[in-house]
Amino acid sequence: MEVEDDKLIIKRLEKENRILKKKLERSEIDRATLETTNRNKEALLKKVICDLQEYQSILEKKSSDLEQTLADLSLMQTKLVEVEKMAALGGLVAGVAHEINTPVGTSITLASTLRDETQLLMTLVESGCLKKSLLNHYLDVANEVSSLILSNLNRAGELVHSFKQVAVDQSNSEKRIFKVKEYIEEIMISISPQFKHNLHNVSITGDDSISIDSYPGALAQVITNFVNNSVLHAYLPNTSGNIHIHIQQQGDRTIIQYKDDGFGIDPQIFNKIFEPFFTTARDRGGTGLGLNVTYNLVTQKLQGSIDCESEIGKGTLFTVNLPNSIST
Amino acid sequence: MFKVAVGHSNDPDSLEAIDEILEQCQQTLDGVIPQAGILFAAIDFDHSLILQRINETFPNIELIGGTTDGEVSSILEFQQDSLTLMLFCSDEIEIRASVGRNVSQAPVDIARQSVEEAKQQLTLPIKFCIVMMESLTTSTVSILQGLASVLGDLPIFGGATADQWQYQRTYQFYKNEVLSDAVTTLLFAGNILFSCGTASGWRPIGKRSIATKVDKNVIYEIDHKPALDFYHYYLNIDEPDAVYPLAVFPPNEDTFFLRGAIAYDKAIGSLTMSGDIPAGSIVQITDTSLEDVITASRVSFAEAKSHYTGQEPEAALFFSCAWRRQIMGTRANEEYQAIAGSLKNLPSSCGFYTYGEVAPLRQNGQAFFHNTTFVTLLLGNQ
Repeated sequence: MEVEDDKLIIKRLEKENRILKKKLERSEIDRATLETTNRNKEALLKKVICDLQEYQSILEKKSSDLEQTLADLSLMQTKLVEVEKMAALGGLVAGVAHEINTPVGTSITLASTLRDETQLLMTLVESGCLKKSLLNHYLDVANEVSSLILSNLNRAGELVHSFKQVAVDQSNSEKRIFKVKEYIEEIMISISPQFKHNLHNVSITGDDSISIDSYPGALAQVITNFVNNSVLHAYLPNTSGNIHIHIQQQGDRTIIQYKDDGFGIDPQIFNKIFEPFFTTARDRGGTGLGLNVTYNLVTQKLQGSIDCESEIGKGTLFTVNLPNSIST
Repeated sequence: MFKVAVGHSNDPDSLEAIDEILEQCQQTLDGVIPQAGILFAAIDFDHSLILQRINETFPNIELIGGTTDGEVSSILEFQQDSLTLMLFCSDEIEIRASVGRNVSQAPVDIARQSVEEAKQQLTLPIKFCIVMMESLTTSTVSILQGLASVLGDLPIFGGATADQWQYQRTYQFYKNEVLSDAVTTLLFAGNILFSCGTASGWRPIGKRSIATKVDKNVIYEIDHKPALDFYHYYLNIDEPDAVYPLAVFPPNEDTFFLRGAIAYDKAIGSLTMSGDIPAGSIVQITDTSLEDVITASRVSFAEAKSHYTGQEPEAALFFSCAWRRQIMGTRANEEYQAIAGSLKNLPSSCGFYTYGEVAPLRQNGQAFFHNTTFVTLLLGNQ
């Protein structure tokens, strides 16, 4: 019995011995493997830290590049505003020059007629052949011609007066106090030659006495861009539309509402209308800058806000909300 | 009736170990004859002798198995250099083993043919498949494609056999044969419930690079440079370290799977990975910690438990990655203890550390070849 027990104990001890030997063998192998794993982990983490530092440098460089790009874009935006302004001024000059050509040309023709009639009268007087009927004819012609010359030159003068103020305001950025309704009327007179062939009816309503201390040149460009947009996008060529501008004052703010009754803006593109270079009329000379420049002028130069509402088939309404007096 | 018996011995002597295991199993079975079994064995054993003893004890048993990088069971928990066997008995379930030999010659076709034969022997509806396969000689993904061509979307579970971190030669067991370069399967049909869970714990770190030249499971170039340079860059060593697998983001995907390097060619700088990689994939080196590994095993078991539709599972099979064990080192037992500690009654369990795990990405989905993953498979029939 004891021998049997001893045998069992010996057997168990032999088994334990075998297991311990194997475990010792295995632990040596595992220790070496673990050391390798830990060395590799250390190398990996060092390298990842290097990667992160490298990425940090790249990101810093990108950030600096982005800042530079942003500065370049701001500069470009300023230049684009300037370009747009000069383009609008160029259009204004061309329109006015074209418009002024007719009354001035007519006046020249009429003056030439008056001179010929006067020379004929002088000849008749010198030769003693002047009859009462001829004198009367001359006086009738002189009266009619001088009236026509006067009305033509008045039209030209009116155009020049409006043009002079708007052009000066657009070409230099002076801040001054001006009457909004009167000024918008002058703008409309100045730019009317540019869309006269489209036969649009323009009406301007509101309190004549509303004045603001702001930048008239910037406002002139805003209104010009609205009109250009309506002419280019809202109506088919050679069709007439109705453009209505309403001015009202609410406390220390002046609200200018510009409304056309054209096609309206497609809801799919509505959110993009103020984005730079977004245009649906590139093939018709659209640059996609007009409303972006308008937005920037209203929000930055004029320190106001701009809002747009539109419904397909019913037209578009721009609401410009300006301070009565802006801080310099 | 569904009965499971588990035996586990850490005696390095092959005959002593298998005899001890058979004795443990017979005590549990109490005279019931097992229909099938799975054997997980360390590389140093005399495997032929072990299979011979099992077949002498249970003639005609449908047995598969393979060599490992560590074994685990509800008897001895985690062990190295041990032997563990799980036996299945049931009068409501059919289980058939199959084998595909020399699988590297035509992995898809040989895998398909092997499982087709076993499938024809079954009269009940097949529920799932357990696979033990070679990974050092061929593409495991191709083997799975072959199996899936017969099984369709039936879930496949299992792992790639291992050789205790030597990466020289692994063995697969089929009935009384010890094979290499083979795929073995067990098909389960009839009244059996099962559920599974998977979790990993590895996460990508470092630069995102592109696998610019790939052929199936061989990466030749990463970022137009020899693939081996990638590991050299990160680990400052001339050979890949399997503990740091690659996170693979297939083109236009923002989720990743893991692939470890199992071999390399120093001359051309290529890496042979544990599974196929789509060309143009984004790859990143990965890392983990002991805590993440242990958490993942617990998550895997909890997921399987939550999907189990029966009352209590009878058995649990674990397929855990050898690379996980490498991270855990001397604390490898904590992976099992994390599961056991979270339960009042852990079912009879058995498992092994693999060179790659097989499990669906979702319950009852098509099989997928994983790395660094912990797979739990719960079995029962009530």
